[in-house]
Amino acid sequence: MSQNLVRTQRKEMLLAYALLLPSLVFLAAFTYWPIVRSIWFSLHDVLLGDPDIYWLGAENYLRLLNDRLFWKVLGNTAFYTLTSVPLSIAAALLLAVALDSKLRGMAIYRSAFFYPVMIPSVAAGMVWVFLYAPGYGPINEALTGLGLPRLDWLYDSKWALPAIVIMSIWKYSGYFMLILLAALKLVPSDLHEAAKLDGISAWDRLIHITIPMISPTLYFVIIIGTLHSYQIFDYVYVMTQGGPADSTNVLTFYIYQNGFQYQDIGYASALANALLIFVLGLIGLVSLTLGRRVHYLGER
Amino acid sequence: MPHVLMPAHAAETVKLQFMYPVGVSGDINTIISGMIDEFNATHDGIVVEAIYAGSYDNTEQKVITSLGVGEPPSLWLPINSSLQTFLGLDALEDITEQAKSDDIYDDFIGGFLGTAISNDRLYGLSFQPSTPVLYYNKDAFAQAGIPEAPETWDQLFETAKALTVRDGDELKRWGLIIGGGWHDWMFEGYCRQNGLVPWEQDKVLWDRPESVEALAFWKTMVDAGCMAPASTWQGSANDFMAGSTAMLYHSTGSLTNLRTSSPFEVGVAFMPKRKTWGASQGGGPIMIAKNQSDAQKEAAYTFARWMTNTENQAAWSRATGYLAVRKSSWEMPEMQEYLVEVPQAKVAMEQSAYSGAFLQVPAYSKAREVLKSAIDRTLAGEVEVEAALASATDEVNREIARVMRRQQRG
Amino acid sequence: MVLDTSVTPDIAAAPAAARRSGWRRALKGQWLHLIMLPLAFLWLCPLIWIAVTSLKTSAEVFDPAAGFFPAIPNFSNYPSTLSVAPFGKYLVNSIIVTSSILAGQLVTITLAAYAFARLNFPGKNVLFTLFLLQVMFPIYAIFLTNFVTLREMGLVNTIPAMIVPFVASGYGTFMLRQSFRQVPSELSDAARLDGCNHLEILWHVYLPLVQPTLIAFGIISVVTHWNDYMWPLLVTNSEDIRTLPIGLGLLAKADSGADWPRLMAGTTIVVSPLLVLFVIFQRRFIDSFMHTGVK
Repeated sequence: MSQNLVRTQRKEMLLAYALLLPSLVFLAAFTYWPIVRSIWFSLHDVLLGDPDIYWLGAENYLRLLNDRLFWKVLGNTAFYTLTSVPLSIAAALLLAVALDSKLRGMAIYRSAFFYPVMIPSVAAGMVWVFLYAPGYGPINEALTGLGLPRLDWLYDSKWALPAIVIMSIWKYSGYFMLILLAALKLVPSDLHEAAKLDGISAWDRLIHITIPMISPTLYFVIIIGTLHSYQIFDYVYVMTQGGPADSTNVLTFYIYQNGFQYQDIGYASALANALLIFVLGLIGLVSLTLGRRVHYLGER
Repeated sequence: MPHVLMPAHAAETVKLQFMYPVGVSGDINTIISGMIDEFNATHDGIVVEAIYAGSYDNTEQKVITSLGVGEPPSLWLPINSSLQTFLGLDALEDITEQAKSDDIYDDFIGGFLGTAISNDRLYGLSFQPSTPVLYYNKDAFAQAGIPEAPETWDQLFETAKALTVRDGDELKRWGLIIGGGWHDWMFEGYCRQNGLVPWEQDKVLWDRPESVEALAFWKTMVDAGCMAPASTWQGSANDFMAGSTAMLYHSTGSLTNLRTSSPFEVGVAFMPKRKTWGASQGGGPIMIAKNQSDAQKEAAYTFARWMTNTENQAAWSRATGYLAVRKSSWEMPEMQEYLVEVPQAKVAMEQSAYSGAFLQVPAYSKAREVLKSAIDRTLAGEVEVEAALASATDEVNREIARVMRRQQRG
Repeated sequence: MVLDTSVTPDIAAAPAAARRSGWRRALKGQWLHLIMLPLAFLWLCPLIWIAVTSLKTSAEVFDPAAGFFPAIPNFSNYPSTLSVAPFGKYLVNSIIVTSSILAGQLVTITLAAYAFARLNFPGKNVLFTLFLLQVMFPIYAIFLTNFVTLREMGLVNTIPAMIVPFVASGYGTFMLRQSFRQVPSELSDAARLDGCNHLEILWHVYLPLVQPTLIAFGIISVVTHWNDYMWPLLVTNSEDIRTLPIGLGLLAKADSGADWPRLMAGTTIVVSPLLVLFVIFQRRFIDSFMHTGVK
């Protein structure tokens, strides 16, 4: 009997590895190998364009600790993540719930909120440079119309990063909305109907039924949103190049600057590895706290 | 070449790759492709493949990445500031002798030729030079009763104050915007106008009194509320076209776009002087790779020479707004007509007599970023002028030393 | 919890409640429109600006006196944009690249996600974290090594160079794993009792049920790679194999301020196929729920 069990377990294990194999082959070649190389590079003086590398030991990491700009960039990145992720996901959740119905016109709404995801970042960045123009930009005109003070947005080191956050809510809410919408469709509708008949308010239904039911997807969206927010690069690159006064310089842009503009691959690798360790820690924390509270419909 | 010889030569066809950025407008891509088709049609035995490589930055990165794997393109067109970067990688073919036995040293305008010279050796043929100039809104000047563009820093300050328009607290129009993202380039112009080239081959000199004075002047204008403390490169050009600023420092490369897209008459003037006129060269030379066969080097020189010949430079200049590099190009009747039609181009041309290479130090990219950040923080009031420039100078010089130490090991 | 609320509607009251709820739902719909319509308009403003600007002359774009709409719609921006680069060829390449990536990803993520969601094996958590590394590690730190790898494989300046680095997707695996775990295990138990093996269960039970997720992933994957700029720029040289965003880059990365009307015309050209695809697929996306039998 137990031998049978062992045999089934072994069969299941072999099947699992076989199913993972295709992914692992590609990941090994194009993700793990670069990471291994990056660890190796980070211990060396590596100049982009020069095949020779020189051993440095921990010097790149020590440099990082004393790099004033690195700490500023880390702060900017944290600010961006802590504002853009909760705001876009909250907006996405409300949009998804509002659009999860069979009413007429919903298809148009869905397209209206999703299309920003499709605009190439080069073009989207340029359009927002125009929208944010202090002198004649529509956003400042609207602020004046509402009786609010005008802002210098991208020209002001205090407002440039918030400006990019606002733009990213426009750009990414639709993206999270689509994923959440897919999850909402899997929530059995009788649950809602029943609660509605019991006179439970829409807000309570959202908190006590909808959110627990889609918690696996919400969990996914929070993790992916956080990881993606660390990768923000395009808008900084197109709109501000990290300025003014480094106020919009974020980690991926800083890594790009060091590796490709300054040719300092060793230091860029050290930055990337530091980021990886940081993110791994963060994800560990999220999965230990949020992950435990996720309720999977298919599992008892 | 006699037709009978063709088959033999065809067997020895030399293939060249040429990587170039597109800096002014998409049409440049078509113009460059057209030039290359013409070259290929008229030169047996050489086939050039033109590779669009993005912006100046992207182009440099693409070339350097291919250098790292030992397969550089035959030629590329980077920004002139990258000269020391490529020399540090031992990537450039020295073309001094060929150029001297040719007419390059006689016919190229000195300031342009100089952007590809290091230690008296020539490493490229200047192809599309540009400098910053002062663009001004002639309608706004007329309304304010100002007849002429300012010629000195003091006049610039007065003019900017006079042209700034406020409605209560609300700013309607700035007097002056210095194109952000490249404001370090303009700043070097200010240093030159104040009598200092703020770098040497192995260090930067931003902590000298001349530089400090230049930044202090910017700070005065910002504090007086007549100059924007920061901007972006795209945004500042838009601001000018939309009438949000009366004056703008931007590249001569923008001339055609600003002239044709602004709903008012655009004036172009020298950047105002202090002790002297002065500007730094932007734009770049065509460089030739060292790591390739002699036949390729020879063909590459032929191609670079052809791209910068009198007729091609004249045509290129008229099509793009970049300045022609040859004296003989400017003497052609077409160019004389062009100058009558677009007198603004002449200003840019004349200013280039007072210009020199831009920040040709090792680690120039990092140097640029550090300087831009220091300028931004000063103008935002976060640091004092002197302290900002002193620490930026210190940081960059340490980085240059680090890079040079590394190059000596290699 | 509310989930445990036993549902015991009063039989007599049911028709009235249903009537009331129908009426309420209609009202709720109206009320929603009041909020959604202005919000959607706000969201659409940049798109409207893109479309309008693509029909202006460059002098009109920034002229405060010119008004919001062009005096005469200048459709010639479109042919003039297309003349900058071989956009037709770029379009074909973009389609080849994005659809190949998607096809590859759908295979790899389906297999891997099933293993993570439904099979037990040693090292599961470690392996899952390893999959997520792909999403965590900054892309610019892997560019150089991947360029060198592709060169050694002889793939630089070929179409596969834009495809192979993206065939595996930690992102997609994670997304699909979450959906698989939502599928009631009773369904697969029943299939197993009928004698189905794992692959059959995956094919006949799981995949039909997670169609919405597959479509959502597909849309996101296509959008991401359709708009990718830096990597294709680095690994390709020939016009013959380049993709649409590189054509767009010609109009945007200007020394001289952007070529606004043509950049916006180019944007419209690049986005249109995606927009059409989305409108079609979001129909499919909604329909797919009908087939799942869940709703």
